[in-house]
Amino acid sequence: MEMKSVEKKSFFKTDEFKLFMGKYGIGVILFGMLVILCIVEPSFRSTRNFINIAKQVAINGMIAYGMCLVITSGGIDLTVGAQLALAACLLGEFIMKREMAILPACIFTLAITTFLGMCNGLLIAKFNMFPFVVTLSMQLVIRGLAQVISNAQAISMTKEAFKNIYSGFVGPIPVPVILFLIVTVIMYLLLHWTKLGRYILATGGNEKAAVASGVNVFWTKVLAYTISGFLSGLAGIILTAKTSSAQSNLGIGYETDAIAACVIGGTSFLGGVATVPGVFIGIFIIGCIYNGMNLIGVSSYYQTIVKGAMIIAAVLFDKMMNQRT
Amino acid sequence: MKKLLALLLTMAMVLSLVACAAPAPAAPAARAGDVNGDGKFVVGYISKNTTDTFHGPINAHATATLDALVADGTIDEWTGILDGLTDPGKQCDLADDCITKGCDAVIILPAEAEGAAPAVQNLTDNGVAVVVVNSKTTNTDELAATYCGSDDVYAGTLLAQHVVDNCPNGGKYIHIQGVLGNSAQIQRGEGMHSIMDALTNFEMVEEMTGNWLSDEAQRIATDALNKYGDELVAIICDNDDMSSGAQGVCNEAGRSDIVCIGVDGNNYPLSMVKAGTMLATVLQDGVGQIQAGIDAVVAISKGETVEKLYDVPFVLVTSANVDQYYTGE
Repeated sequence: MEMKSVEKKSFFKTDEFKLFMGKYGIGVILFGMLVILCIVEPSFRSTRNFINIAKQVAINGMIAYGMCLVITSGGIDLTVGAQLALAACLLGEFIMKREMAILPACIFTLAITTFLGMCNGLLIAKFNMFPFVVTLSMQLVIRGLAQVISNAQAISMTKEAFKNIYSGFVGPIPVPVILFLIVTVIMYLLLHWTKLGRYILATGGNEKAAVASGVNVFWTKVLAYTISGFLSGLAGIILTAKTSSAQSNLGIGYETDAIAACVIGGTSFLGGVATVPGVFIGIFIIGCIYNGMNLIGVSSYYQTIVKGAMIIAAVLFDKMMNQRT
Repeated sequence: MKKLLALLLTMAMVLSLVACAAPAPAAPAARAGDVNGDGKFVVGYISKNTTDTFHGPINAHATATLDALVADGTIDEWTGILDGLTDPGKQCDLADDCITKGCDAVIILPAEAEGAAPAVQNLTDNGVAVVVVNSKTTNTDELAATYCGSDDVYAGTLLAQHVVDNCPNGGKYIHIQGVLGNSAQIQRGEGMHSIMDALTNFEMVEEMTGNWLSDEAQRIATDALNKYGDELVAIICDNDDMSSGAQGVCNEAGRSDIVCIGVDGNNYPLSMVKAGTMLATVLQDGVGQIQAGIDAVVAISKGETVEKLYDVPFVLVTSANVDQYYTGE
């Protein structure tokens, strides 16, 4: 009798269970959320709505992947929101004012945001400045640049071909979803299959050990911020197409959701721990919180609280399941 | 790799769940305004945000009124306040959510004239009647069922005229703007400049943004007082959270003669007009705008036609008429 109760108790404490939940726990949570939302809210369970959610998370998703690399390398990138605004204003300037073709305009825009991302990385890696301070200040510089370029006026992006970057379809799937999935696959390969990915994990995990093992920490960090700059630029292009307007006050507060998606997805703020599938699920959890609760009719005040509580719960859960005993 | 597999499995299960879900039984269309034929008239409410002092009373009035309309059966459901977070991108997402929810009419208070336009486009493309309140999107005239709001360019001219009337000798003034790129900021500035720029005895010595915030306006006003001293005669602000902040700074510095004015008619600025510590403020009747919007929705639900425009006028509030608008709460 006693034996039995001990066995029963220990099921949730077995290493197998912990290992499983540590690895897939966040997926289980998303699955649970989806099931509950499908049961509670009829309008949630339509194909159209699932496509909607995927479309809605694409922008935050791109930023979150860049953020994930940067956090994993032991830093943070607070410039992403401002980068979106800069990308928008550059596109407005290039496409509407200088009447450039769409593709070269997008390439120039990406080049500039990527370069600014690299500046972040260089300042942080070269002068060993705090990432928080550098990106907090750079964020002001970049948003200021956006205001200078746009003269703080909104430019209407009237070209249909450009708007199609957000509202177009390839077969039944919206363009932003395709772009998001492509980025997801590339990021997965990058973080888990390439040297650079290992270097980023090593740098964030233990910088001194990484240096001792011959990792070029300087370039690893610079590249992490550079990629983040590129992905913010890409997200900026999609956001500009979505709102069909180029203005300097876009993207305010977007870093919060990106950081939240990373953390929910198991990215450690201490650096060195992250998985792309985890972040992918984190991105969808955030999307489902917004979409699901709107459909159920939960007041937006409570949504904010739920989002905050979710992040804390995710971190706590992660800590409990990955505790070494 | 295993994780990807687990993920794919999850997705597959979810999809099968979707496939199993039975379609909702179609009820007979009971209301004229029911565009999607689900037998219900559902109203969506996309707010601009839930934090600004100007939008608080609007959202509160909408909540009370729409709840009452659901209770007495005029409408079947409403979405609750959907928070636009002053973000046009977010408002586009909310428009998608409203369509999914089966809304027949949606009230939207646009975050941006340009940026929120795709939300209006998306809604009307899906047959939803859109009632735009407070500020226009660029496609409002073309697509929306009606617009209930006030003319911000006119508000700007009221600001300028007040300064001209109260500073007969002219002088130097500064202009504190709202968040740059915001349509209210652009249009109020346009109206103000249309009068002030033609006058040779007035000189604008500074124009910068206070981001609609009182504390930023206070900082700008303090700096301007130090810099221009006695030559400064007026501070024109795009809203009255900022003008009341600026006036407070001037009064404390013993310069209550400086004319500060802004737009909105929020509670604190009105209390200053009542107490005589500020000359005037320009009232934007937000509650009047949303009431006009809700009236339009009710008319749409009954299949009645609505006017394309309900203009809710701005009012210059001075000590003469402040009792009409200041409730003292």
